Amino acid sequence: MSSIALSAGENAKTIRSARRLDRRRMLFWVVPPVAWFTVFMLIPYAMLLYTSLGRVEDMRFIPGLSLRNFIQVFTVDPYLSVIIKSARIGLMTAVLSAIVAYPLSFFLAFHVRSSRLKFLIYLLVIVPWWASYLVKAYAWKTILGSGGILNALLQKAGLTDEPVRIFLYNEFSVVVTLTYIFTPFAVLSIYAQLERIPTSLIEAARNLGAGGWMIFWRIIAPISVPGVVAGGIITFSLAFGDFVAPVLVGGPDSVMISNIVINLLGVAFDWPMAAAIGLVIITLGLLLISASGWLEEKTQIRF
Amino acid sequence: MTTGIELRKLRKLYEGHGQGAWAVDGVDMTIGAGKFITLLGPSGCGKTTTLRMIAGLEVPTSGQILRDGLDITDQPVTDRDMRMVFQDFALFPNMTVEQNVTFGLRVRRMRGRYSEAEIKKRVFQFLDLVHLADHAHKKPHQLSGGQKQRVSLARALVTDPQVVLFDEPLGSLDANLRKIMQIELIRIHRELGKTFIYVTHDQDEAMAMSNAIAVMRGGKVMQFGSPRDIYDRPANRYVASFIGHAHIVEAKVAGRDGQGLVVSLGNGEKVRLENENSAATGESVGLMLRAEDLAFGEAGPGMVSGNVADSLYRGEYIEYVVELNGGAGVVHVHARTDLPAIDQGAAVAVRVNPHKAHVLAH
Amino acid sequence: MRAFGNRPLIITMAMCVLAFLYLPILVMMLFSFNDSQYTGLPFNGFTLDWYRQVFADTRLLKSIWNSIYVAGGVVMLSVLFGLPAAIALDRYEFPGKGLFRRIVMLPIVLPGIITGIALLGFYLVIHMRLSLYTIMLGQGTALMCITITEVFARLQQLGKSQMEAAVNLGANEWEVFRHVILPAVRSALAGAMLIAFSISFDEIAVTFLLTGRENTLPMTLWSLLRREVTPEVNAVATLVVLMSVILIVVGMYASRGQAATPREN
Repeated sequence: MSSIALSAGENAKTIRSARRLDRRRMLFWVVPPVAWFTVFMLIPYAMLLYTSLGRVEDMRFIPGLSLRNFIQVFTVDPYLSVIIKSARIGLMTAVLSAIVAYPLSFFLAFHVRSSRLKFLIYLLVIVPWWASYLVKAYAWKTILGSGGILNALLQKAGLTDEPVRIFLYNEFSVVVTLTYIFTPFAVLSIYAQLERIPTSLIEAARNLGAGGWMIFWRIIAPISVPGVVAGGIITFSLAFGDFVAPVLVGGPDSVMISNIVINLLGVAFDWPMAAAIGLVIITLGLLLISASGWLEEKTQIRF
Repeated sequence: MTTGIELRKLRKLYEGHGQGAWAVDGVDMTIGAGKFITLLGPSGCGKTTTLRMIAGLEVPTSGQILRDGLDITDQPVTDRDMRMVFQDFALFPNMTVEQNVTFGLRVRRMRGRYSEAEIKKRVFQFLDLVHLADHAHKKPHQLSGGQKQRVSLARALVTDPQVVLFDEPLGSLDANLRKIMQIELIRIHRELGKTFIYVTHDQDEAMAMSNAIAVMRGGKVMQFGSPRDIYDRPANRYVASFIGHAHIVEAKVAGRDGQGLVVSLGNGEKVRLENENSAATGESVGLMLRAEDLAFGEAGPGMVSGNVADSLYRGEYIEYVVELNGGAGVVHVHARTDLPAIDQGAAVAVRVNPHKAHVLAH
Repeated sequence: MRAFGNRPLIITMAMCVLAFLYLPILVMMLFSFNDSQYTGLPFNGFTLDWYRQVFADTRLLKSIWNSIYVAGGVVMLSVLFGLPAAIALDRYEFPGKGLFRRIVMLPIVLPGIITGIALLGFYLVIHMRLSLYTIMLGQGTALMCITITEVFARLQQLGKSQMEAAVNLGANEWEVFRHVILPAVRSALAGAMLIAFSISFDEIAVTFLLTGRENTLPMTLWSLLRREVTPEVNAVATLVVLMSVILIVVGMYASRGQAATPREN
């Protein structure tokens, strides 16, 4: 017994410690990204907080500890109403993108069998990203405008004599453009979820006598919810923070929250107010992430 | 100095939902070098966790693991000379069979130990051992379950480890394949003389292959002994009922008789046992009666009487369910199929093999 | 059989969606050849003038290169830091993991403008001059979550046993990474890199605030659009799309024979 203890003691130095090794490995993977996000997110956000508590006088920043800017976000027009309007446009975009994206995702996941063709269509969804957002938004202006393609077609068909002006420079054109721009995100996320569904599930349903609609509504639709939600959150967020579409295809009343922030920076030099709005949106963003995590946990189905 | 592996008061706490639970709760065991040892128990009994702690894949909460007297509790997995065969095979899908088997010889630790030619030779030697030399260039997804398992085995053996760990390696194979693989494993163990530590929930597998079996339950070892010990002399009621088809009848020790013991059943009938001296007169015990140790005979003293409640045709034998008189209990009796069948309800007398029946303390 | 439902109907709907995705691009291409100052009907006739103008516009060409440069840097950063982040999240428990996960995901839901002002304020305080590199760092931060989520999802599917088998066979950390993790996440990583590159190439919000004297393509296009020089803009965008299609075709040709599905099940 004592010889065991002795030999263990003698050799203890030659044995590496798994705990220490594991700790070193963990630090190797954890430290670089944590450092990155600390430097480029946490510190800038902390500075944003510092800025938001101060004020600007004669275009000079005066530090302070006032919640005035935060109170203004919720009390002074147009901040709160524009945030709400941006959220409404974001929501409409998210819903429309999901509706547009679903058939293509469905087709890709269930009706394309060759993996090469699948990859090709997948790329076809990504390629429009390469055509500049600005150019695509501008193309919608060409399509929807009073001298545009849609009106030309309507007039040729004899449906209208006068050019229809309600297509452009309003919330409708903003939502159409944003839906168009962000639909690929919805496709990728819905497709990813549909692709996970095992073929045997569909075969089992068919074997039990279910028809196409029945399979869709009772099996595919419920399972695809997390993908729709994940895509919806991305399209909502992108549309919510957009500032290009309102400028290009929006009307005088379609200013969104990002436009306000840019104006505060570039025109009013009111950094503290911009920072306060930024922090409110960051808080909303964190809430959205928590909510989406919760929602995905609730709706995700494990195979 | 002890050779082999020694586990001392090994414990592992699992932080589950809410509170933690002891997955392994104080395991003490000595596993001699070159032995084939099986950890046997139902799922959740802590057998796999114990194996993974030996491999170094889990860190024990407390206790020690010694290898040839040396404390290796905190030694990195990489440094332990123990190879594992995983339940899900864990083959590298991007590599061919040959590359999978070669992997362990090409890692940096092994560099310089074998020349290229030796590596090639060794890999094919072990692919031959598991009869897969013809499949060397296939990818894992092109193999059947049994083939995958044999690749996994060759991959573990090729690096010449002194200890091979098996985590339910045959769990996903069908019954015939399991039987074939069991024989293969016994052959390989005999040929190579390595220490095999094997985890399974299948008692037939454990009985057939091992030098010793540790029956586990709730993170504890209930009994550690040779298959024969565990089968014939189970330490407690749990082991008795988990291994084989034993029925336990309540009894009381009536007295001693030379080398043996006389116990009386609930209905007053007495049974004599040879070579039992573990219980004192007057003590309440459980009498373990296995179907194959019972036989029908003529009614008389020393026989146990009852009625046939059911019979099951098993092919090799007929299994009769016999309710003992006076509600003393139920036993199963195996009878040869060429004997005349006994009708349901018929009164029978059962002879107990005095060398095989066994008393279990309360 | 996997396919179900009314196949012609589904194909029709899917094609309509693809048409919707490509309609503005066709419009853009069409008007890049229109012999008119403005993008719009009527179509005055075919011309290649706008393309000549593009190739004569060194500022525009430089900005295309700048965009590729920035996007390349962003992809590199997101692999360099995003891959370790995904591995850390998959394999290790460390203090602050929950917060880290949220922080990493935040740029997905945050308007680029907010990421932009936070970083702009930061740069101003540490006196960092705005340049292509400040854009790269900003976009890198904003787009890293793509790599992290894609790779993390794949690692979760991978499970633990292959890595355990590798260390059990004596592999060190590098060998586990090289032989188990990398092959498993390769296609997810490639997909994430492609997406990150594409988004970075067209990124406006973060870039808008962090751009210095040198501009990326979207910034240059923005200024051209403000001056209503739209046919030239159409020509540039057409060229970029054609370039990307060529790259993709070449890439597919090169990877012929390999399983090239975006998601292997």
